[in-house]
Amino acid sequence: MKRLECLLICSAAAFAQNALDPAAAEWKSAAPVTLALHRTPPLYPTDAPAALEIPSVQAQIIHSPAGNFVRLEWADKTRDSAVLPKAEHAWQGDHLVTQSAATDRFSDACAVMIPAKPITGDLNPSLQMGDPDHPVHIFVWDGTRGAAVMEASGRETTKRTGQSFPAQAQYAAGKWTVTMQIPDLQAGTPFAVAIWNGSQQDRDGRKYFTIWYRAQ
Amino acid sequence: MPQHQISMVLDLNKCLGCQTCTMACKKLWTDGDGMDYMYWNNVETRPGQGYPRNWDKIGGGFEDGKLRPSELPTKEDYGQTFEYNYAERLFQGGMQAMPQEEVRNTPNWDEDVGALMLGENYYFYLPRLCNHCTNPACLEACPRKAIYKRAEDGIVLVDQDRCEGYRYCMKACPYKKIYFNELLGKAQKCIFCYPRIEKGEVNACAKQCPGRLRFVGYLDDPESAVHKLVHVYKVALGLFPEKGTEPNVFYVPPFNPPRTGSYGKSVLEDPRMPMDYLKYLFGDEVIDVIRRLEGELHRAQSGGTSEVLQLLIGRDEHVRYQIPKHEDLIQIQGVHKA
Repeated sequence: MKRLECLLICSAAAFAQNALDPAAAEWKSAAPVTLALHRTPPLYPTDAPAALEIPSVQAQIIHSPAGNFVRLEWADKTRDSAVLPKAEHAWQGDHLVTQSAATDRFSDACAVMIPAKPITGDLNPSLQMGDPDHPVHIFVWDGTRGAAVMEASGRETTKRTGQSFPAQAQYAAGKWTVTMQIPDLQAGTPFAVAIWNGSQQDRDGRKYFTIWYRAQ
Repeated sequence: MPQHQISMVLDLNKCLGCQTCTMACKKLWTDGDGMDYMYWNNVETRPGQGYPRNWDKIGGGFEDGKLRPSELPTKEDYGQTFEYNYAERLFQGGMQAMPQEEVRNTPNWDEDVGALMLGENYYFYLPRLCNHCTNPACLEACPRKAIYKRAEDGIVLVDQDRCEGYRYCMKACPYKKIYFNELLGKAQKCIFCYPRIEKGEVNACAKQCPGRLRFVGYLDDPESAVHKLVHVYKVALGLFPEKGTEPNVFYVPPFNPPRTGSYGKSVLEDPRMPMDYLKYLFGDEVIDVIRRLEGELHRAQSGGTSEVLQLLIGRDEHVRYQIPKHEDLIQIQGVHKA
């Protein structure tokens, strides 16, 4: 449990157009807040150390009648995402096999973590994927595999719920902009952000992360 | 520790390099989408680059009890998968059957090349599969706990539902016998044909082997050929024992033919292939094994009987395979602890 330290001021607006469009005009009126990114310590001896090359992520949150939206923007010199053909044939059959194009590429990704149930008091769940008494929901966007909702109650417990959520992404001028619609990200909800840089083999706990912030 | 450990012994003196095992496995398990480049069982020429290329040099396994860093093999390291211009060749005529792309590396790129020692060529075939290790580095490396070793038979499997495709296991495996299905985002590997083993049927690779070089059974079954070859006769060794994973696939080391003009000399007196190379693959103990096998050969050549050689001939399946159905496994009384 980590004591709540930071507040993030959010905007309320009514979207005239697709709120998930990273270029929607309403996002220009929502003041971006720069969240410092921290790097997880080397967790895995099989991997080379990673560089701290993405120091921060800009976050905006808008509560609107259409829902609660978050927009994340961060600089990443390399775009690591791929469009993969669908795997249609799991085992056997009279068909030409669709190929795996690569074995060693990883995708850029981001995630927003929020408590799975309302927080009482000013203590947040563990930053390491919550804890047994304070489970979390994680909304992950991955440059190759798209959006997925995960749940966790502590480190190494994350699992996919099988659900997706509305998200949109664009990469331009060395920056990723990802918008997400997260219904439970209401005013006062604590949230934390994670960023993965595929070109340095980021995945899993090998990532950048923020401390807890609170949407106001 | 599992209650029982299934195991395979491969007699490298009998391997023809025909890849029938490779194809048996491919057709049974890895002909799905995203698995094009995967050969859970492969046969590579040694000395040689191996599959994936330089797998034995890029890391993995344990050092002082800790996982060793490793590179991740690229698709090109595994070798290209390509089609031939069958339609043009068959229906237009006048041209050779050619790959549809320039080929730079394949799983068996340097087949039969080998190496030279004192002007004479040597090589042998090394069939490889997951070693279903007693101390699996892949299992140790997986932060998702998606890899598990079955209590009933020691087979190591990847839970496809838990796997997130992080590929720490691929780095950790010193044998590079875990593959990544990019389309599914999952790690996949040899399952030791567990649905067959559970029914008392031998693995597809062993069943199809024309050289009859594979022996399959439970290491803790004193009646099994694998137990006798590994623990009683002590003529089979694991690959790269110093990597610390305690593999459960074992090899009877290859002799190669005598050198020209070395008639009457022992393999160790006048070896065709450098013993240092065999020590590199199987550890220092390989010298004792070769000495033991040569002694058995001399005994047989002198008109005596060698139980070891008789077993290694293994003409019939009941000699090579002792695989009780899973429901009968309880009857095996373990007598050996490694």
